[in-house]
Amino acid sequence: MVTIALVRDTFREALARKIFWVLFGLSTLMILFFLFLLKIDIVAGATATVSLFGRETRGNPDIDRMVRGVYGSIATFLYTFGMFLAVFASSGLVPSVLEPGRIELLLSKPISRAHLLLGRFLGNVLVVSLNSIYLVLGVWTILGVKTGIWSPVFLIAIATTTFIFAVLLSVVVLIGVVLESAAAATMITVALMIISPILAQTSQMMKLLSSEWSRNLWRVLYYTFPKVYELGKITLDAIQSGTFAGYTAIWTSALFGIAMLGAALWIFQRRDF
Amino acid sequence: MPVDSEYAIETQDLTKIYRTRWSRREVRAIDGVSLRVRQGTIFGLLGPNGAGKTTFVKTLLSAVRQTNGTALIFGRNASDPEARRPIGYLPENHRFPTYFTGAGMLDFYASLSGVSAARRKKLIPEHLETVGLSQWGAMRIGKYSKGMLQRLGLAQALIHSPSILILDEPTDGVDPVGRREIRELLGRFESQGVTVFVNSHLLAEVETLCREVAILHKGKVALTGKMQDLTAGKGYRLTATTPSDTLAEELRSKATSMATRDGLVDFQFSSRELVNAAMDLLRAQQCEIESLAPTTSTLEEVFVRTVEK
Repeated sequence: MVTIALVRDTFREALARKIFWVLFGLSTLMILFFLFLLKIDIVAGATATVSLFGRETRGNPDIDRMVRGVYGSIATFLYTFGMFLAVFASSGLVPSVLEPGRIELLLSKPISRAHLLLGRFLGNVLVVSLNSIYLVLGVWTILGVKTGIWSPVFLIAIATTTFIFAVLLSVVVLIGVVLESAAAATMITVALMIISPILAQTSQMMKLLSSEWSRNLWRVLYYTFPKVYELGKITLDAIQSGTFAGYTAIWTSALFGIAMLGAALWIFQRRDF
Repeated sequence: MPVDSEYAIETQDLTKIYRTRWSRREVRAIDGVSLRVRQGTIFGLLGPNGAGKTTFVKTLLSAVRQTNGTALIFGRNASDPEARRPIGYLPENHRFPTYFTGAGMLDFYASLSGVSAARRKKLIPEHLETVGLSQWGAMRIGKYSKGMLQRLGLAQALIHSPSILILDEPTDGVDPVGRREIRELLGRFESQGVTVFVNSHLLAEVETLCREVAILHKGKVALTGKMQDLTAGKGYRLTATTPSDTLAEELRSKATSMATRDGLVDFQFSSRELVNAAMDLLRAQQCEIESLAPTTSTLEEVFVRTVEK
């Protein structure tokens, strides 16, 4: 009951913030775009015409490749702009709970501090995952109905998006608990997102870096930080090829997230308010 | 009603030391506070600004971790979340999230206190009615006035039928009629055996409401006792024109207090004999007597005497 109350409270607060509505609004726009503006006529398994904004493209494009392309663009949106918006929108949800006059009342209730923080974390993850489910499932259903292609591999984007958001949210929570600053939480988490594609160039960097210690430093950074870029790429590859291969990126990112969340809990348990 | 202990609140040598971040200089917010609050009483915690009252209350709620000592709620360690189940708390500068409606806020905090959904459905309208907000339950609390927020905060503290109420400035921002209603409400709880722990600056209100008080000063318990004992000290207040320094010193040594203002001097004497002797001495020096009146000791006088020692 307490967990549900904490999750519901996070939902209420999230929905009171306009930025979450922007996120849901963008998802709705995408769904409406595919629902009304993309018209596909199929003849014998291939597209006879594809109509966009009333303009028709004739020829015989591979419908399967086109659908996978759409899946890829949706996944890319989720991993880039969507993830940035989600982090930005979530960055204030922990500092707001720690405001004087609010935190004392929450702490006076018969719940542990860990429960309080994890309830908020879970609520935040659920809000963003619902948006992913809404967008991915919406587009998947519309394209499935219009093309007859029901490729379940696209649905993996829901899991990977939610997973990487949870990892990034652990950083947001840690910074929120330590600095009580939404701006700092956003900056540091976005910095991690930006650094991710740079660190992903490990094989090239190993050739370029001259000293062993600098190569070791690069490896440490690579294995330590969450692999936002690689998880996005792995999801895209999975959508295109139908095979998923990226377990190292998952478990190293998961370890990072657990460490961040553990540190946040440890500090939160010891803080005076 | 928890019956693990005779006391609702029991602290032993409770100390909280804050250290500044860089110089590690120590500030003792509370220093060896030992207090016992019996079950079913209305207890007032007083003290000047910075005395450590808020830190003490936060330690009871485990929002602040003590450096030394123990804090027990009905015999349970205050750091145990279960120890906080019987507590209803109203913070001083509360900040309730404005996305709630009045009823929604009560629902949220009641569910955190473990009140079932069916009970909440029944209790929320009842408590809104109790604090005079039954018409406002569906309204977002961003629209509430300060007094209304205070009433809602009180309903929040009461909704899970607590055995102890910890109230920080409970009548802050409430109009005089509302204050009276709150006092009557708290009085009713006393008759039901609920312990009420009030932290307030309003001495007259504490004097009206509380059965026992403690005065914190510089982080330590400066005075504690039953209200009727503390305010029982009867005497006489004598006001006269200012005497010579020698006589003023002599009278000061006999009086319980002395204060000067606008060419006049107020003496407080504990007996009729002393005040008569003082009048004789003053008249012998041609000092004029402005007034003479019997007095009872007010909590304010007790408070001022305690913190000026």
